[in-house]
Amino acid sequence: MPTPVRRKLIFACLSLSALALVLSGTALAGAGRGIPPADSPNAGGIQDLYVVVLIVTGIIFVIVEGALLLFIFRFRGGGRARAAEGPQIRGHTRLELIWTAIPALILAGIIAVVFFKLPGIQDVPDAGAAGPKMTVQVEGRQFYWRYTYPNGAVSINQLVVPAQRPIALVITAPDFDVIHSWWVPQLAGKMDAIPGKTNHTWFEADHEGIYQGQCAEFCGIQHAMMLTQVRAVSNAEYESWVARQLKVSADIGHMTFLGACAPCHGMQGQGIIGPALKGNATLANPQQLRTLLAHGKRKMPPVGEGWTPQEINSLIAYLKQEFVSGG
Amino acid sequence: MAVRAEPVYPVPWYRGRFTSWITTVDHKRIGILYLVTCLVFFGAGGILAVLMRTQLAQTNEKFLSAEHYNELMTVHGLTMVFLVIVPILAGFGNFMVPLMIGAKDVAFPRLNALSYWLFLFAGVVLYASFFATGGAAQTGWTLYPPLSEQYAGNGVDLAILALHILTVSSLVGAINFIVTIHRMRAPGMTWMRVPLFVWSIDVYAWILVIVLPALSAGLTLLLLDRQAGTHFFQPNEGGNALLFQHVFWFFGHPEVYVMILPVMGIISEIIPVFSRKPIFGYTAVAFSTVAIGFYSLLVWAHHMFTVGLATPLLGFFMISSMIIAVPTGIKILNWLATTWRGNLIFETPMLFALGFIALFTIGGLSGIFLATFPVDWQAQDSYFVVAHLHYVLFGGSMFGIFGGLYYWWPKMFGRKLDETLGKWHFWLLFIGFNLTFFPQHLLGLAGMPRRIYTYSRGGWETDNMISTIGSYVMGAAILVFVVNVIWTRRRAGVRAGNDPWLGDTLEWYTTSPPPPHNFEKVPYVTSARPLRDLRKRLETRRA
Repeated sequence: MPTPVRRKLIFACLSLSALALVLSGTALAGAGRGIPPADSPNAGGIQDLYVVVLIVTGIIFVIVEGALLLFIFRFRGGGRARAAEGPQIRGHTRLELIWTAIPALILAGIIAVVFFKLPGIQDVPDAGAAGPKMTVQVEGRQFYWRYTYPNGAVSINQLVVPAQRPIALVITAPDFDVIHSWWVPQLAGKMDAIPGKTNHTWFEADHEGIYQGQCAEFCGIQHAMMLTQVRAVSNAEYESWVARQLKVSADIGHMTFLGACAPCHGMQGQGIIGPALKGNATLANPQQLRTLLAHGKRKMPPVGEGWTPQEINSLIAYLKQEFVSGG
Repeated sequence: MAVRAEPVYPVPWYRGRFTSWITTVDHKRIGILYLVTCLVFFGAGGILAVLMRTQLAQTNEKFLSAEHYNELMTVHGLTMVFLVIVPILAGFGNFMVPLMIGAKDVAFPRLNALSYWLFLFAGVVLYASFFATGGAAQTGWTLYPPLSEQYAGNGVDLAILALHILTVSSLVGAINFIVTIHRMRAPGMTWMRVPLFVWSIDVYAWILVIVLPALSAGLTLLLLDRQAGTHFFQPNEGGNALLFQHVFWFFGHPEVYVMILPVMGIISEIIPVFSRKPIFGYTAVAFSTVAIGFYSLLVWAHHMFTVGLATPLLGFFMISSMIIAVPTGIKILNWLATTWRGNLIFETPMLFALGFIALFTIGGLSGIFLATFPVDWQAQDSYFVVAHLHYVLFGGSMFGIFGGLYYWWPKMFGRKLDETLGKWHFWLLFIGFNLTFFPQHLLGLAGMPRRIYTYSRGGWETDNMISTIGSYVMGAAILVFVVNVIWTRRRAGVRAGNDPWLGDTLEWYTTSPPPPHNFEKVPYVTSARPLRDLRKRLETRRA
């Protein structure tokens, strides 16, 4: 092959690789945009650690990929004979010791920062600006989240909490269920909901608002539909909401339908994986429906096992209103 | 006088064009069987991946149903790990190890054949499971109970069966490699003269022998739970759901190094030859391989940072995972130093080797985010992990494997793969790979979990679309490779001769392709680069 052609080829290769690396470099720098804003002290602590690791690895990235590109350009054969050898350097003990020790020290540094920041991420404060700590029980189920509040009220998928108060979460899954993982990235890292094991995490929403999340551990056919939402409100609004939540109502039935039924039977009950609900005979027979909810049938998991009478009655009332009495 | 007839020798049935491949115990032919079979499975697994990417291109896409997506996702993972990367490295090991150490074959040629045929059978079982009642397993390749014990069909049972067969196949193959490398090296080939690829295959084999029994045990318990009514992993009957995860990852994390160490070995062969220099720090590279192999046994629970481990355990597994980064970094710096002041020749094997360094570095660095356990609480089970593992196993392993194919193809088949098509293959794959997997880091950080068949958040759509387009570019790159192979097989490739790259190691001493017994005689080995020594001796004699 004539030399100019080869030169051109090498130049093309080099410029392309430079382009690719610059692109991925900017993308890496843009990774800051990738991480959502942290709205809770523990998510903030994690974000600080993320930035520390991003800076350290960013520097290593630039050094290694830069050296690679530089060497590719600087030491290209450029048409020299294959038999032309470079200097036969077999190693350099001192240099190798240095580049073993430096990464070890950098990593030790990261480890130290982790343990320095850990208490702020792991430990639940006793009180926040708006009041003392509050504990919510979280149950991961196929395919919805069930939240139980201190007064015994229950909500499905949507967790309503007072803002600026530490919320301790006690996370588990029923014995007969599978593993899920609770994750609302803006508020906290994820924590698995494991049958037969109780896990703990917490968050404290900085301000009122809605935060999205979803199950992060593959839990079966509708894993992708196992969404959750945290609505942080004022203390007063929370108190009135959680009191209302104790009564049987169509609203609660609707919420329960959307969380526990809709992923498989469709938003309008039109049927997806499970059968259509409209005109379904089971719905007209409350006793059969109770048994079905508590025990499941074939592909249907026992979604209603362990529910309070208030939840079941609300759902039955809602289903009857929507799908039986022609509503 | 009557003309004497040519004597007719009947060809025995086992020497036919087709039957000779079925009955062969020649390590080179078995190696080629492995490589071809793995590339076919690679194509199959790749098609599954492109289908999944198509489903994820837009929000609320209806291209695949949830069941189908979950089947594809499970079989894609199982295929790429168990039917492509691990066995294709066994294929390279089969073909190259005896040649590189100057042996006539592996220690147990018939066991070697058994190991290949079991592997093929396991692959057929896995793909046949698509036709089982209830379809293929829908659990993800990790097969976590209690979910995997919930499915009524036989998909999970067949996946377990396939993995059980593969375990036997790998175990037999690994013992064969160990005995071959420890007992059959050429005269003069001390441990400090063993080619670095052979070092890596030795560590690969030792890791497999140590951890495969854990996988077998875990799978057996899973099968008993499913079929014999036991309750090892069922919490409602007093079992422990997390036990399986510990057993699985005690096998699973070393398995990652099983998939990367021999590739690092291939890179350590290619870079010096195409830099016209010896490897920088042979001893450091060899012993970092052993160190990585050892530490790989101590890091498994970094896959379980979100299951609620006690803080001291979190700390232990973070520190052990960080320690592994040190020998890994040593290797990267040694390869870089090898290119320093070299006469770099940018032929396709070298392009893939340099691509490996560029991409594996990114995969290694994103691993530091995951080892930092509080950061992992955000990144775990998200698309960040998907991006990370593909930078390691595709940008790393598969790029190195393609480099190895271009590098050793002339030795295996006597002809070089086409250079122009090779460069197209590399650049399309390099660009397509980054398009596919870089945006996935950002998706993971933005909250997109892995293993979801659809999503409704508009903010995730752009990155997903870029990723899908990238996967089509990668598909095109693989088609270029297929064309290249067919082109070369049609005898359009350049005849290679014994030693087309002016290599360092013994496989280039024999003909291309080598005769059944490999060598007439093997030169006495006096360094880690016997072929270069030989060339230098000839030059001195001529002068």
